[in-house]
Amino acid sequence: MKEFSRFRWQRHHSALLLWLSLLAGSVWLTGLGRVPLINWNGRSLIGQFWLAMFHPSLAGDFLGVMAEATVTTFAFAVCGTTLSLGVGLVGGVLCSRVWWHVWWPGPVGMGLWRGVRGAMAIPRAIHELIWGLLLLSVLGLDSIVGVLAIAIPFGAITAKVFAEILDETPTEPLAALINSGVRPSVAFFYGHFPQALPNLISYSFYRFECSLRAAAVLGVIGAGGLGQQILISLNALRYEELWTGFYALMLLNGCVDMWSARLRREMGFVGRMELASGKSREKSRALSRRRGSTLGATGQRAAGEKIFVMGSLGAIAIAVPLCFAHLQLDWSRVGRASILIGELAPKVSPERVLPEFSVSLLPLAVQTVAMAVLAITLAGIGGVVFSFPAAQNFFLPGGVLSSVGEDGRWSFGHVGLVSTRVILLAARAIPAPILALVILYGMFPGILPGALALAIHNFGILGRLMAEVNENLLEAPLRGLRSLGATGSGIIFYGILPTNLARFLAYILYRWEVCLRETVIVGLVGAGGLGRLMTEQLSSFDYSGLAATLTVFVLLTVAVDFVSGWMRAAVQ
Amino acid sequence: MDSMHNPALALPALALPALALKEVSCRFKTSGSSVLALQSVSLQILAGERVALVGPSGAGKSTLLSLLNGSVSPTEGSVCMLGQWQGDTYKTVSNAQRRRLQSRIGTVYQQHHLIGNLSVIHNVNAGHLGRWPLWKALWSLVWPQQVGVARQALTQLGIGDKLQARTGRLSGGQQQRVALARVLVQDPDVILADEPVASVDPARSHDIMKILCDLAQNRTLLVSLHDVELAKTYCDRIIGLREGCILFDLPTAVVSEAQLTQLYDLEASAPY
Repeated sequence: MKEFSRFRWQRHHSALLLWLSLLAGSVWLTGLGRVPLINWNGRSLIGQFWLAMFHPSLAGDFLGVMAEATVTTFAFAVCGTTLSLGVGLVGGVLCSRVWWHVWWPGPVGMGLWRGVRGAMAIPRAIHELIWGLLLLSVLGLDSIVGVLAIAIPFGAITAKVFAEILDETPTEPLAALINSGVRPSVAFFYGHFPQALPNLISYSFYRFECSLRAAAVLGVIGAGGLGQQILISLNALRYEELWTGFYALMLLNGCVDMWSARLRREMGFVGRMELASGKSREKSRALSRRRGSTLGATGQRAAGEKIFVMGSLGAIAIAVPLCFAHLQLDWSRVGRASILIGELAPKVSPERVLPEFSVSLLPLAVQTVAMAVLAITLAGIGGVVFSFPAAQNFFLPGGVLSSVGEDGRWSFGHVGLVSTRVILLAARAIPAPILALVILYGMFPGILPGALALAIHNFGILGRLMAEVNENLLEAPLRGLRSLGATGSGIIFYGILPTNLARFLAYILYRWEVCLRETVIVGLVGAGGLGRLMTEQLSSFDYSGLAATLTVFVLLTVAVDFVSGWMRAAVQ
Repeated sequence: MDSMHNPALALPALALPALALKEVSCRFKTSGSSVLALQSVSLQILAGERVALVGPSGAGKSTLLSLLNGSVSPTEGSVCMLGQWQGDTYKTVSNAQRRRLQSRIGTVYQQHHLIGNLSVIHNVNAGHLGRWPLWKALWSLVWPQQVGVARQALTQLGIGDKLQARTGRLSGGQQQRVALARVLVQDPDVILADEPVASVDPARSHDIMKILCDLAQNRTLLVSLHDVELAKTYCDRIIGLREGCILFDLPTAVVSEAQLTQLYDLEASAPY
C-alpha cells in the first residue's frame, strides 16, 4: 500500500515538473523582458475601443444587417451540427470497439477497428478554420464551405466521442441478448444503442454550442454572418458597430448555452469529461434525479419539464429545414470539386511534398506548442477562480459558501454570479481572431498576443465547464465542514478543491489539445507558429508546402494528445 | 467425485440429456495469474428436471451456467446444449447454429441485465429477437409488436400494468419479473437462473422461486442458489459445487446435513 501511494506521488509530480518546464520554456520564447512587447502608441485606439462598449451602434438599418447576420451564423451552426451528427453517428458506431467486438470478433475485426479509428484522427486534427480555407479554394465562395468546414472536423470529433460513449455503456444487457441467440447487429441496435442514446443526445447539444462559436470564427474568413460583419467593422475602426456585433454574439451564445444547459440537465446530462471518463455517470444521474425531486416535487413542474423538452425537440425539427433553406447551399459544387481535387492531387504527391519538410518547421512547431501551453495555463487559472462565483450553489443564499444569515432576494452572490457569467460569456462568444486583432492594438505581434487571445477564449469555455462541475458537487460533505464552523476558504481548500481538482485538471488538459488546434486561428492574424505559415501557404496556393505543414501539425497534435492523456492519467 | 446420477424420479416421457458437461475444466486469465474456475466437472441434466446448483461464493456456479448457455467456452472438455455436443473432439458449431441453440435456452441473471432506459414492453419483446429480423426489431422500437403476448406474460407475473413504464425506474423485484417475462416470451426449452433471489428478501425469494417453477413446467430448470432451504423446497435434485469441483449430485431427499455443512465449510480441505 505504501509503495503504491509512493508510486502515484512520483507520477503526478513528474507531470507537474513537465508542465512547469513547458511553461518556463514558453515564457522564455515570448521574449518577456528581452524585447518590447507593449505598443504604447496604441493607447488612444484602445481607449476608443473600450469607450465604445457603452454606446454600441443602434442605428435602424445597421441593426437590420446585424439581425440578418445573426440568423446566418445560427443557420451555419444548425446545418453544421446536423451534418456532423450524421457523420458522427455512422462514424461513432464504426469507431466503437463494442461494435467490432460483436459484429466481427477476432483479430481481423480489431485490426479494422484500429484502421477506422486511425483514419478519423486526421480530419479531427485539422482545425475547422483550415478546413474552411481549404474548402474555399476548392469549392469557391458559397455557404456550403462554412457548413462543411464545421461538419467535417466536428463529425470526426463527434464520432470519437460517440464511440467512447458506446464503449463505456455497460455491455451486460447486450451480452445477455447475444447469449440468448440474438444476432449481434440486432442485439447492438436493440439492446446497446438505446442505453447510450441519452448521452449521445446530451453530447449533441454540447456540440451545437461549439458549432455556434465555430460559425462565428468562420465568418472571419468570409463565410458570412456575425464574424464577417464584426471584422468589417473592426477594419473600418467603427467600434460602436463592433460592440453591437459583440453584444449580438453574446446574446446568441448566451441564449443557446442556457437553453442547451437546461435541456441537458433535464435529460439527465453529465459533463463532457464524464462522457469521456464514464466514471461518475451514475452519480450524475442520481444527482439530477435528486435535484428533480427536491425542486420539482410537484407533478406540475414535471409536466412543465416535459413540455419544455418536447417543445425544444419540435423547434429543432422545424429549425433544421429552415436553416438549410436559409443558407441556399449549392450542393452541385461538391460534385464539381472532384475536378479541382484532380488538379490538386499531383501537387501533393510524395515527391513534391517531401522536399518541403525542412528544419525551419521545427521552431514554428515549438512556437505553436508554447502558445498553447501559455494560453491554457492562463485560461485554467482564470477558469478555476471564476468557476466559484459563477456556480449557482456557492455564494447564493442557501449555497454552501454563503453566510448563514443571508437570505435577501438580491445579494453580493447574485451580483457575482451574473457578472462572472457575463464575463465568461463574452470571453467565449467573441471569436479569438477578433480578440487577437484587438490585443494587437496594444502589443507587438508575436506569440504572446496570440496566446492571450486564445487564453481569453478558452477561459470563457473552461470557466463555464468548471462552474458546471461545481454545481454537480455532492453537497453533503461540504455541509459537514460548514456545520463544524469552517470558513468559506476552508471549505474551498478542504472540501471542494480536493474533490474537483482532478476534474478541473482533466478539463484543462483536454482543452490544451483543443487549444493546440486553435493556434491556427490566431496564426491567421499573424500571431506566429505553424498556423501563420499555413495561412500564408494557403493564400499563395502552395499546396505542396501546405501538405508538409499539415503533416507536421497532425503529428504535433498526436504527440500533444499523448502527453495530455498521460498527464490526465497521472493527475487522476 | 464423479457422479453421473440419474435421480430415480418420475420424469417426462422423453428423458433426453438437455444439458451435459464432460470432463470440463475452465480457466480464466486475470492480469498475470490464472484462476481455475472449474476442474474436470461432469454432469448430465435430463429434459424436464428441476435442478439446484448450490455452493459458496466463488465455487464456479456462474461459470458453469455460462458454459451451458454458450457464452463461455471450456478450456478443456466438452459441453452439450440441447443434444448438440461441442468442444474437445466434436466439430465446432457455426455461429448460426450456436445462436439457434442459444435462442432455446433462456437465462435469468441476478442483475437482470435489462436495458434500463427502454420501456418494459421493449425489454419483454427482446425475447423475440432470436427470431425477428433486424427491420422488425427496429420497427418494434418505434411501434411495439406483439403487445398482446407481452401483456399476457406480464399479467401472468403480476405486473401487467407496467407495460409502458421505463424499466430502469422499476423496483428491483419488478425488474426481476420483467426479466422473467422476457424469458417467458423467448419460450425456451431450458431455463438457467443465476442466483435469481440473491438480492431480494426471504418472502420475495419464495415468490420468485414459485414463478420460476411455474415457468419451468414442461421445461428444464437449472437454478443456482445460495440458500439450501430454497433448493430443498423447489428442486428435485441438488448439485453441490465447491472450489470448482462437484462435491455431491443427489436427489433432494438424499442430501444430508453433513454434506451441506461440508459444502460451506471453507476450512475443510478440498474434496479430491
